[in-house]
Amino acid sequence: MKYALKEILYGRKKYILIELLLILLMFMVLFLSGLASGLGRAVSSAIETMDADSFIVDDSAEQLITVSSVRTSVLDELRAKGIQASPLDIQRMYIIRDGHSEKLNITYFAVEAGSFIEPETIEGTGLAASSARDPILLDDDFKLDGISLGDTVKDPATGLSFTVAGFVDDRMYGHTSVGYITIDSYTRLRQASDPMYEHIPHAIAVKGNADYGFEGNGLEVVPKQKIIEKIPSYTAEHLTITMIVWVLVIISAVIIGIFNYILTLHKQKQFGVMKAIGMKNTELAGMVISEVLIISLFAALISLALTFSMAAAMPEKMPFYLEVPNAVTVTAAFVLISVLSSMLSVINISRIDPMKAIGGGEE
Amino acid sequence: MSDKLLELKDICKSYRDGSGKRVILDKVSLTVGRGEFAAIVGPSGSGKSTFLSVAGLLLTPDSGNVLIGGKDVTDASKSERTMIRRRQLGFIFQSHNLVPYLTTADQLAIVQEKSMREKVKIRELLSELEIDDCRDKFPSMMSGGEKQRTAIARAFINDPDVILADEPTASLDAERGRLAVEMIRNEVRKRNKAAVMVTHDTRVLDLVDVVYRIDGGRLIPEAKSGEI
Ligand SMILES: Nc1ncnc2c1ncn2[C@@H]1O[C@H](COP(=O)(O)OP(=O)(O)O)[C@@H](O)[C@H]1O
Ligand SMILES: [Mg+2]
Repeated sequence: MKYALKEILYGRKKYILIELLLILLMFMVLFLSGLASGLGRAVSSAIETMDADSFIVDDSAEQLITVSSVRTSVLDELRAKGIQASPLDIQRMYIIRDGHSEKLNITYFAVEAGSFIEPETIEGTGLAASSARDPILLDDDFKLDGISLGDTVKDPATGLSFTVAGFVDDRMYGHTSVGYITIDSYTRLRQASDPMYEHIPHAIAVKGNADYGFEGNGLEVVPKQKIIEKIPSYTAEHLTITMIVWVLVIISAVIIGIFNYILTLHKQKQFGVMKAIGMKNTELAGMVISEVLIISLFAALISLALTFSMAAAMPEKMPFYLEVPNAVTVTAAFVLISVLSSMLSVINISRIDPMKAIGGGEE
Repeated sequence: MSDKLLELKDICKSYRDGSGKRVILDKVSLTVGRGEFAAIVGPSGSGKSTFLSVAGLLLTPDSGNVLIGGKDVTDASKSERTMIRRRQLGFIFQSHNLVPYLTTADQLAIVQEKSMREKVKIRELLSELEIDDCRDKFPSMMSGGEKQRTAIARAFINDPDVILADEPTASLDAERGRLAVEMIRNEVRKRNKAAVMVTHDTRVLDLVDVVYRIDGGRLIPEAKSGEI
């Protein structure tokens, strides 16, 4: 390790270039990785952050809440068993601000006021505490559209007006910000276009992962993670970017491997001499591997620092969400694959004939 | 321990040459004792490097035996040879062949066995070779003579039985070349080692104890120039 570090410091000009390249690549990797989770979050955060463990949907809905419907009696049965359960409707719409004509996309989450799936507000009051007939809790991204507490927003299709009772943090679904409304408001919304409508929840959110005994009864208990994966576009986007991330990780690591191999090819005589004077293959391999380890660790740390400081300075609307465990997994994989790629050099060194040291100085 | 620190017995070595084979060493024998400095001369291509490689356990002879410190090491395994080279042999090469990114002190430390740290002090060795001030210098900051003296120091760092020098004056001018060989001789005498130097530089032969000429695959003792 000591001698590898000495070599790097001695030849720093040569190593700075490769470090720059690796830092750039790893920065891109971490950035894309953050973007992948950010986009994923924009699709699913309202479900991810929901204080529920699984959802009961009808078994023909293919685990998609928006196309499911669950008879209301199920809710009563669950509650009778002492299970924490709450109805949930998800409906994509748009709203306009009072006195404006611009349509803003929204996904309504209709919940029972005061239930465990109603999120904590970061500003204003909850649905139950609001005195308005039709209160709404908006994701705080709507603030960027100029909406503030106490404003009214209108559902243009039905003319129903909501009063902004509070703001919540990090609640998105299918790339739109979420607005939480009461089941009563939701029923009125539906009845405006269909007077015969009677509320039947899309799904029932449940706390605890027990087997509820509804399987095979036309109903299905789906864990939260599964519901997230089934949200349209979640898997497609997530998988694509995740794949790009891993391809880049491998490319970066292979670049170190090749760089290191080229250096090794240039040092055949030097390694021959070292072997002639009695240095073991394992000692030389140790030097080469430490060198790669130092280069890759350095690039990993710098790019982590860069990415996290940039994330702090990023505009709020940017769908960027890099979690420390994710970042650590990606960088650790990078370092590991780099070390593996240095095996190419190790194999080469083990084949060098120490006879190279003796005789004419070709090279 | 035997006083014959290096013994080569009936060494044969030939290389394949087209369809036939070329004999480079033909039953060559050599014994070098404690405190003795031998030189091998011969024209280019006569087999000097081949001979030195066999003595240095870098090349396996077709037949014959190699004994180092009285022990037959002809059939030693690859890793045993590496350990013998490290502990019992000291190499000095044609060009200094130092590691470019290490200072003189590190060049020596990287090969020194832990058990030798007390016995061979880097500082003492450097001052005997008059390169104390090169301690913290990289090869690129030193003159050719200083580099070769660093290489000489490296050869002695593990208190070896046998020193093997491959044309150590080749990259130096006459004066510095002579100085380098003088220093090898002084260390060999002081530390009571055996040394073999391969050279075509006849001007330094007065510094050695015996001279052999290699020719036609044979090693022939030669009257030393200057000795009448
Ligand atoms: N690996 C090899 N394969 C074939 N021929 C070799 C090999 N190494 C050396 N030779 C030949 O052996 C002869 C002796 O080489 P060498 O020992 O290097 O001589 P010297 O050091 O005296 O100049 C030369 O003719 C050289 O071409
Ligand atoms: Mg030669």
